[in-house]
Amino acid sequence: MKISHNWLQKYFERPIPDARKLAELFTFHSFEIEGVEELKNEKGEVIDFVIDAKILPDRAHYCLSHRGIAGEVSVLTGEEIVIDSIVGKTLKVSTKIEPSINTVPAITIQNRDNNVNNNTNHNSNSDTRFCRRYIGRYVENISFGKTPEWMKKLLKAIGQRPISGIVDATNFCMFDIGQPLHAFDADKVKGGIVVRPAKKGEKIVLIDGIEICLTSDDSIIADNDGPIAIAGVKGGKRAEIDQSTKRVIIESANFEPTAVRRTSTKYGLRGESSKRYENEITPELTIQGMNNVCVLIQEMNPDAKFGPIVDEYPVKVKQTMIEIRLEYIEERLGVKVPLDQAKNILERMGIIVNVSIDEQAFVADTFPPTALSRSALLRPSPRSVDSIDCSSKNDWKLTIPFNRLDLTIHEDIVEEVGRIYGYEHIKGILLPKMEKPIEILPIYYLTEIIRDNLVKQGFSEVSLYTLVEKGDIETAKPLAKDKAFARKNLADGMMICLKKNALNADLLGLQTIKIFEVGKVFSNEGERYALSLGVAQVKKMKSIKSEQILADSLETLKKKTGLQSADSIIDLKIVTKGIQSVCEIDLEEVLKSAELSGYFDNASYNDLNYTPASSNRYKKISLYPFIVRDIAIFVPESIHVGNVWRSIEKGIENAGALKLLVRHSLFDTFKKDGKVSFAFRMVFQSMECTLTDAEINSIMEKIYEVIKDERWEVR
Amino acid sequence: MVENIKGHLHPITQIIHEIHGIFQDLDFAVADGPELEDEFYNFDALNIPADHPARDMQDTFWIKSGKLNHRSSDESINLVLRTHTSSVQIRYMQTHKPPIRIIVPGKVFRNEATDATHEAQFYQMEALYIDKNASLAHLKGVLETMFRKLFGNNVEIRFRPSFFSFVEPALEVDMKWKNKWLEMCGSGLVHPNVFKAVGIDPNEWQGFAFGFGLDRIAMLKFGIDDIRYLYNGDLRLVNQF
Repeated sequence: MKISHNWLQKYFERPIPDARKLAELFTFHSFEIEGVEELKNEKGEVIDFVIDAKILPDRAHYCLSHRGIAGEVSVLTGEEIVIDSIVGKTLKVSTKIEPSINTVPAITIQNRDNNVNNNTNHNSNSDTRFCRRYIGRYVENISFGKTPEWMKKLLKAIGQRPISGIVDATNFCMFDIGQPLHAFDADKVKGGIVVRPAKKGEKIVLIDGIEICLTSDDSIIADNDGPIAIAGVKGGKRAEIDQSTKRVIIESANFEPTAVRRTSTKYGLRGESSKRYENEITPELTIQGMNNVCVLIQEMNPDAKFGPIVDEYPVKVKQTMIEIRLEYIEERLGVKVPLDQAKNILERMGIIVNVSIDEQAFVADTFPPTALSRSALLRPSPRSVDSIDCSSKNDWKLTIPFNRLDLTIHEDIVEEVGRIYGYEHIKGILLPKMEKPIEILPIYYLTEIIRDNLVKQGFSEVSLYTLVEKGDIETAKPLAKDKAFARKNLADGMMICLKKNALNADLLGLQTIKIFEVGKVFSNEGERYALSLGVAQVKKMKSIKSEQILADSLETLKKKTGLQSADSIIDLKIVTKGIQSVCEIDLEEVLKSAELSGYFDNASYNDLNYTPASSNRYKKISLYPFIVRDIAIFVPESIHVGNVWRSIEKGIENAGALKLLVRHSLFDTFKKDGKVSFAFRMVFQSMECTLTDAEINSIMEKIYEVIKDERWEVR
Repeated sequence: MVENIKGHLHPITQIIHEIHGIFQDLDFAVADGPELEDEFYNFDALNIPADHPARDMQDTFWIKSGKLNHRSSDESINLVLRTHTSSVQIRYMQTHKPPIRIIVPGKVFRNEATDATHEAQFYQMEALYIDKNASLAHLKGVLETMFRKLFGNNVEIRFRPSFFSFVEPALEVDMKWKNKWLEMCGSGLVHPNVFKAVGIDPNEWQGFAFGFGLDRIAMLKFGIDDIRYLYNGDLRLVNQF
């Protein structure tokens, strides 16, 4: 929600803090701020500041308007709001226009008998009727109207494009006090206005020309001929206001939030109006919306004549009452809040706080009244030590303002006091010790035992994608065609993962790739834990095959973890493709059999012996390919391998390429005729580009030079 | 000669181990729950009703109606890939009587575009504490303990007001580390509607809960700059740790 600082300031007599200071106050006491921007005019002068606030559902009842935000500013700064709406102040007129003609629109509200509201989590007082209030007013002698400059400026500041006249007036009122409004061309409305559910098959052409086929779940504003607006969402073309409009019917209404949300979402018509309705606003705001927009319409159309207001308000809402003790608030916050401050905070929000007093403790004169506490007379006696901390004796009866639909339970009041008093006052305390011994979670224990053993065996752990190309369980709106299904197995992903890592074996400095994954797999029968292991023997060796390594690892896993009873389960088929071997194990089966054999009977998390997390810092992975070069050198037997490497390194250094050497290893040694051969594998890679053969060759040349100087022989 | 070198645990697993150790000392147990969740556990029981704007706060992977959507009765249920580990709070409270102390590490899913800091799947850690007395001071104490053990004793914590349906008051938790304030965690006192959904008397029991992304912790602690490396099985990342 974009907030204009200039607009906010209009609610106050004295200057409010600047935009950045307000943003800081909001951040720590109200809501998240996405940013503060300067607004400049054509000359480059700063004329306003725009605060972008992230208003979440709890505060959207009252903070999707400048008036609501001004209320927050008042609570945070103590500055009093001096006017109810800037409409009156800006125009210096009263915010009520008296009727001068008798014409009234006929308004009928037809709410559904039994509401389709299928959720039971709203509080039991939630009103399921679609239209709670409908105010209509007929105005004649209208022209399209010219929007006053002051209104244009404010609308533009918050990113709204001024169009003209009545449309701007309705828009302005919505962003000012939070009440969505609509206007119909009265001459295009046939008969009276009915608020009713749409009939199946009814259609409406919207203001932008799109035709919507309505269903009986949708609610509309209709005349004798059919729909003229989708209630709370968007107006129709048929009764649209245009250049030729002379007479209008203004609508200010209150609609049920979930119905508006469902309808607007269904047709992709979510907008500023529907956003305010779907977050629920109080029906008490409706009349102010009507009064304000009429003032603006008269300003733009001095000769306009207004009919009487028709106000269909079948069930007037009651104010919420909450009873609470300060002690309760302090207990939940975990910090003492001075009574005066707590009370003052609530009162600044427009909450009426009635403190009930223990009459025997009442003594009027002993305390001087404080500036903050208006009900100073009600302070209890200082005579007894108990009454100095008077909070526990006071039951507060709070009368909640109509627009604070977010305040319904004790916890809401705890939050109001806590956030304004300041969460920084809370000091952390330790939890009491728990006497119960901790129960282990068998599946967690099992997977940790398995992880520990596999890592000891040289397997590294991967975590792969759950959403893949095929499976039983399909997502409704996939991110990509090849990520639409929940995986049915781990093995498919493991096979691909093995292959990819095998290509990097030299870069990783590995002769064998060994990886595993513990994860969930999904089928029509449900979801299960599985374990997959993968082995790729990259360096070709005579008697060492991936499949054998995998089989041996499984044996070791069984033996060392004591999961031998899971014999038949862990001995699964190993699938081999090329040098990749993969197997997959159903851990639910292993778990079941382990439980039966009493594996977890004396288990404790202390058995797990976690290794502390690595203290390494991530080294960026290069996006460019690596190049491998081997070099073998014959040296006299007395020469130490370290010296040989140092010489090679010198050569690389001479080529200015030390940074490019990302890995090196000794992979072969053998003696022959009084000489010894050391064979090294070097891996070169750049962080910036693909290295060419030519570049590598020149590095090798430099190495050969150094070797030659030592009088050693390159093989 | 087959190499005899130790393997590497996934960075997320290493973080889970650290956190488990911290919470083990605070007498917390580990709990777990399904990744494929009923709408009830992921939303309704957590006080996020259907057609409420609170559902916009997460991009959800809904599952297409199929065999799995019709379990015992004729009534079809809506399934999602869980958007948070908070659903396990409900499951655990349905099967265990208070007092309760649990942590829940788990994979969660969000239907949003991926980039260096966003993935469609990632890991979260949830913590739930239910006892006769639970206040924001307790919550702060636990958070301070955890973040200090993870990032060092100089770390500071602060609260900012926010909104989550299943806690009230709802707070964002920032951590000051290396002179920067970082958003780390959502938290708050368990909402009475959540207690009611599981049949725990909110007049007798109180609680706090918090949840945070493990990937974020791992990326901060290890300095990893792209979340996607955590899920593409690349040993060039895993083997660094």
